[in-house]
Amino acid sequence: MDQKSFHANEISKSFGALQVLDNVTLNVNPGEIVGLLGPNGAGKSTFINILAGYEKQDGGTVVVEGKPLDGLKPNARARAGIARTFQSGRLFGNLTVAENVALGAIGLGESGKVAHERSESILEILGIEKLSPHAAGSISHGNARLVGLARAVAAHPKYLIMDEPAAGLNEDEAPRLLQALEVIRKNIGCGMLLVEHNVKLVTQACSRVVVLATGILIFDGNPRDALNNADVKTAYLGNAGVH
Amino acid sequence: MKHGGVTKFSIQNLLGPIIVLILLTHFVGGASTSLQLVTQMALCLFVMVLALQVFVGNSGVLSFGHGAFALIGSYVSAILTAPVNIKDNALSMNQLWEPLVSPQVNIYVALVISAAVSGLIAAITGIFLMRLNGLAAGIATFALLGVAYNVFFNNKKIGPGSQALPGVPLIDNNWILLLLAVLSLILVYFINISRIGRTLRATREDAMAAPALGISIFKVRLIAFIISGAVAGLSGGMYSHVAGTFQVQDYYLEFTFITLSMLIVGGSASIWGALVGTFLITAVGQVLLMMEQDLPVFGIQVQIPLGSRAVIIALTFVAVLLWRSGGITNGKEFRIPKLKKIS
Repeated sequence: MDQKSFHANEISKSFGALQVLDNVTLNVNPGEIVGLLGPNGAGKSTFINILAGYEKQDGGTVVVEGKPLDGLKPNARARAGIARTFQSGRLFGNLTVAENVALGAIGLGESGKVAHERSESILEILGIEKLSPHAAGSISHGNARLVGLARAVAAHPKYLIMDEPAAGLNEDEAPRLLQALEVIRKNIGCGMLLVEHNVKLVTQACSRVVVLATGILIFDGNPRDALNNADVKTAYLGNAGVH
Repeated sequence: MKHGGVTKFSIQNLLGPIIVLILLTHFVGGASTSLQLVTQMALCLFVMVLALQVFVGNSGVLSFGHGAFALIGSYVSAILTAPVNIKDNALSMNQLWEPLVSPQVNIYVALVISAAVSGLIAAITGIFLMRLNGLAAGIATFALLGVAYNVFFNNKKIGPGSQALPGVPLIDNNWILLLLAVLSLILVYFINISRIGRTLRATREDAMAAPALGISIFKVRLIAFIISGAVAGLSGGMYSHVAGTFQVQDYYLEFTFITLSMLIVGGSASIWGALVGTFLITAVGQVLLMMEQDLPVFGIQVQIPLGSRAVIIALTFVAVLLWRSGGITNGKEFRIPKLKKIS
């Protein structure tokens, strides 16, 4: 484990008698994009909620740059450099797009001036600067996904957790997301954990893939190898292949 | 932008309400003796509604407990300024605690102390209350009002109990009250555009997403609650120096309902909404009060049954919310309307 990495070690979680995660270990290095795949009910959402502090694990530890995050609330984890996006977007609908993104920096203590400069710069990098004055609740689903990403990276996080950012995107919007991830990697340089069902997007964006099935980590390696792995095919991909 | 709230400094947003306040104070407050008193009361209520705006408007947490801070502010200012002989005579039957009889300070020092004490009580109670959300938070703030009311209503060692404390020195100069209202407005405006106001509105919009941005919901709500409590305390202090008395009953259910109505009818997300709501409901309430008392309104005499005032204000409240959920101003700050070009 790299001393600068984001590390989840032997994470376990049960809801009553149902074991959702069973000793899951995952490492994300600085600047690396790791894909997290798995069928519905595999424990992906629970896992990232534990990483971001929205759920408590029963066992195991979460560490960033050598510092344990266990027991810290989501806001404290954000201050430790862990940002996240949400499956449902969760933008502040009555506030403008610019204000949404600026709040990503303001929340971590940046001044209003710095936050707005950063907001403008990130929206421009992602090519959505024209959305700035619009209420976040009034923009399209695809743009909302990009604004959610912009808001999360406005804090200049060390690591970014993305919960199904491509969900609901059409064929024109998915490539924009892929492009945005690459732009973020180049400009912000944060490590990213991409939880996604879109296997094609994951194989294109990620240098490494991990696969969860019924709470157990069944694969950790190269995306191409994942597509040919028998366990991954059985548990998740089936014979349908990449879609 | 729908009822979002301001984020950047705008001279128009700030000066607009101040100019309107000055005009109302000059023209309405200077029209007659009775309207002067109505204007003075409205200025006190406006400061109270500003206190509600900074917390309720930005956090989205409904507080029924701010009457407690106004009550405490009013009590502190009254007990610190009422003449010793009045406190001694009027309260001797109630066995007022001896150390409370002798203190005498200047009105303005008393107002500062009343804001500070209310802010301190808000800090102590907020440590517990600001951990709650939704219905639990609303009912807990209501309990705070109930506790404050009952402590002051039943405890004659600390105040007049169910009676009034008369002889509280008056501030009969409209401009001094206006100055206090403007200072409160400026404070609330800068809180609203500060990091506290902006992060608080983020928690109002989505309490799950805000912590992911590093925002501590408890911390920002607590800071706003303390500031809000202090401003409510100032409002209570001002009110006691306009009425010339302190009476616990003035700050209970009707006061809570009226001030919350003013905020919500005007538009809870803006200072402009607080001003519009305060002066509109004051004006409507005053007209209805005159009609209840069978007095002519603009030369027309229409009598309505006693108690109609509260019913009509409540119906107005419901009608406005059905028409515009964001209040009359829809949460927008003051802006000079732009003229449309005729093509």
